[in-house]
Amino acid sequence: MKKLTISLLFVCAIFFARGADFTIPVESSKLANGLRVILSKDNAVPVVTVYMIYDVGARSEEMGRTGFAHLFEHMMFEGSKNVPKGMHFATVESNGGTLNGSTHPDFTDYFDLLPSNKLATALWLESDRMRSLAITDENLKNQKEAVKQERRLSFDNQPYSTAIVDVWPTLMFRNWQSSHSLIGSFEDLNSSSIEDVAKFFKTYYAPNNAALVLVGDLQIPEAKKLVETYFGDIPSQPQPKRPDLSEPADFQSRKQVYKDPLARVPGLVIGYPGPKRRSPDYYALNMVDAVLTGGDSSRFRLDLVKGKKSVIQYEANLGWPFASPVDYRDPEPYAIFLLYNPAFTADQMVSQVQDEIAKLQSEPLDAKDLERVKTQMRANRIKELQSSLNRARALAQYALADGKPELINTELDAMLAVTPAQIQAAAKKYLSADRRAVLQIDPAPAGGSGKSSKEGQ
Amino acid sequence: MATKTLWILAITALGLAAQTVDRTKPPQTPPIPSYKLPPVSETKLPNGLGIVLVDDARFPLVTVRLNFQAGNKFDPPDRPGLADAVASLLNEGTKTRTSRQISEETDAMGGSLSADAGPDSLTISGNAVSESLSRLLTLLADVTMNATFPQDEVDLYKQNRIQNLRAERSEPSFLAREKMSQAVYGSSPYSHIAPTEQAIGKLDAKVLGSFRETFLVPNNATLLVIGRLPARAELLKTVTQLFGSWQQRQLPAPPQMAIPAPHRQIVLVDRPGSVQADIHVGRSAPTRLSPEYFPLAVGNSVLGTGANSRIFRNIREKEGFAYDAHTEYNTKREASDLAAVTQVRNEVIEPALRAVLAELENMASAPVPAAELTNTKNFLSGIYLIRLETQDGLATQLNLIQTLGLPKDYLETYTTRVRSVEPGQIQDVSKKYIAPDQDAIIVVGDASKIGDAVRKFGEVTVVKAE
Repeated sequence: MKKLTISLLFVCAIFFARGADFTIPVESSKLANGLRVILSKDNAVPVVTVYMIYDVGARSEEMGRTGFAHLFEHMMFEGSKNVPKGMHFATVESNGGTLNGSTHPDFTDYFDLLPSNKLATALWLESDRMRSLAITDENLKNQKEAVKQERRLSFDNQPYSTAIVDVWPTLMFRNWQSSHSLIGSFEDLNSSSIEDVAKFFKTYYAPNNAALVLVGDLQIPEAKKLVETYFGDIPSQPQPKRPDLSEPADFQSRKQVYKDPLARVPGLVIGYPGPKRRSPDYYALNMVDAVLTGGDSSRFRLDLVKGKKSVIQYEANLGWPFASPVDYRDPEPYAIFLLYNPAFTADQMVSQVQDEIAKLQSEPLDAKDLERVKTQMRANRIKELQSSLNRARALAQYALADGKPELINTELDAMLAVTPAQIQAAAKKYLSADRRAVLQIDPAPAGGSGKSSKEGQ
Repeated sequence: MATKTLWILAITALGLAAQTVDRTKPPQTPPIPSYKLPPVSETKLPNGLGIVLVDDARFPLVTVRLNFQAGNKFDPPDRPGLADAVASLLNEGTKTRTSRQISEETDAMGGSLSADAGPDSLTISGNAVSESLSRLLTLLADVTMNATFPQDEVDLYKQNRIQNLRAERSEPSFLAREKMSQAVYGSSPYSHIAPTEQAIGKLDAKVLGSFRETFLVPNNATLLVIGRLPARAELLKTVTQLFGSWQQRQLPAPPQMAIPAPHRQIVLVDRPGSVQADIHVGRSAPTRLSPEYFPLAVGNSVLGTGANSRIFRNIREKEGFAYDAHTEYNTKREASDLAAVTQVRNEVIEPALRAVLAELENMASAPVPAAELTNTKNFLSGIYLIRLETQDGLATQLNLIQTLGLPKDYLETYTTRVRSVEPGQIQDVSKKYIAPDQDAIIVVGDASKIGDAVRKFGEVTVVKAE
């Protein structure tokens, strides 16, 4: 074992030195209309990601309009002044690219990933819909149906999903902006009108509420000119306000049981309100998560899956289920989702998880374990940032949430600077049983519909 | 490089014309840039182990794959899922390392090491920071040659695999795929996609060990190493030290692969409470080595890959029946299958299924128009480039060559072969493989709500979702 430790440190030393070589170039600027522009060049493979992010998500929805941010995201593919319906898909794919859009609690993003000769084409498409989206009754009707189908496919017909998207936020949050369903209700979707679409577009889809990130095989001066050409004359709008997302200070422990007719194996969600983004506790809790659930030697795998043979599958992170540590914008929880062996009860599982946390609260992490977790984090970060799309996503988050896209090169260091004492302190402060929400998802006989019952705790 | 300089200039010219851009039309752009794969060097050890090395210095990482012709088609008929179980348990203990030691070692090199089995191959996959390559290879050699399948690990695997299987069986897409495989592959070894609870119950160290000893041998394996690599001689020396003494062994005869002739059959898997119906329409199709492969792959893409494909534009964008509608051409080494897949709300099952069948028929009844064909060829050529962006993506493509027994120049010639497909060739293969007359139709949904609609398409066999 001694030999292993020496070689481990040696390896880390070299790796840290070389790891520093892996620097992502970041060139950021702002157009006169307020559009933030971030360019990052990498000419290794001739592809480019054009990534457009808007600073609006499901948490900006109004009561009676749940699911609207996502419905609107669909409308963005329905055509604009010079790009007829269906042409956005057609143009990107027929030029060898892929594309998508997605709606999150705090942002909505759109990307086009193409062979690099088609950079101008992607900018033409993205600018045309920012400038002149086609808002018609027919498009809205058609996309209401597509969104309802998406809800049936991804949520209503899947085990665990309805509980997670509709019930879990009501346990974790008290403020309606955060506690309402991100995918929304059919009733609200049906009642939204093209006036709502037009208002949402004007308010939030303005250049000053967005950032444009280009990553990959590009030349900076030419790319800048193209961006100015296509986006420079889109008018800005009054800056929309972020909704008030504040939560009551005294989080009460709570628990709910959901009977899921599609589930065959019992599931459990356990969450705790999390810290402010990029605060010292945020980094420390991210390290707590890595120790508990990161890698094959994580405590959950060694102690619960292997040792107690109770947990079958698990996932967890700061911001689970809708956010990741990179796009975490408070208020968000640290939450854990697990499937477990039905020979155990839900209460036993909650205790086992809390006991693992208690170990982190009471004993400092030893140096070897800490070193291993850090090496993993650094390697995972490099693996993740290999693709131009992932680089663009990270740059966009640092631009939007922090106003500093260059954090992509330093955020890891902040994460790795966490000490065992900070880990212990953050676990104590945030992950205690008296500020814990629990959603128990029990398999129910097939054919029924999902039901919830609250239990006092 | 010459090509690249040209298109940079072209973009510059466009940029200078900033004020007069015509927004009504897509911009003029230069041709797709050329790209050459990093050089691939191949060799073989005397014991038969194939070695493929690729220098890819973009990131301080290394990726390895050890590919065996040892996938689930080699499962004994009464032990479906045996190859999966071997793959899952390889890194759970060796003669000199416990499961815990293996996981701590891989995590300490910022890496991972795991195996999985597909229909044809069992592949052990690993990665690490580049400085740890020799440690990664040491661990890889150990799990490959010395896995012991400890009793408590086997018991835990059995317990959890049964639970996971139950979770999988709660998903409609799993139920549809299971039935489709049975319909397409009859009683051949490709017909099962998962183990049974009974087969899981029978697993023990002896049967797992015997599968490993039979199939995980050097003359049945290829090692891929990709990344920031040391000098070639040094790397080959390390590989020889670790894998050189591994004993060859005669391989058993491959399993019989009798694929039944396709014929129309309609199966409704009853899943009470389903709020939508999963529709799969499919049949058997040629392998990647067939001269019909490229015409069929391009035709399949016109029909059902991506948001610009016919089936997506019709079923989702025009009709609003579904969120997802696509076709898939699942190629295996000895036979393949082709299927159209969509999930629709219960009330529209009949028009949706009719629309799917009509789209399949259209591929056979008329040639693909030139512009549509060019678009699809561009799409496939561009996606090919995008797949090579990461080390893992490159490794996956090179591993596919091993899994399916493809020619060495498969990746280099891929784009040219896609570009050379003619409309007449697509129509010919569409008549044979896409026209739906002999397709199996599998529907998963609530029989009490959709049964009558499905019966309008012919005689229906209703089975219970287990």
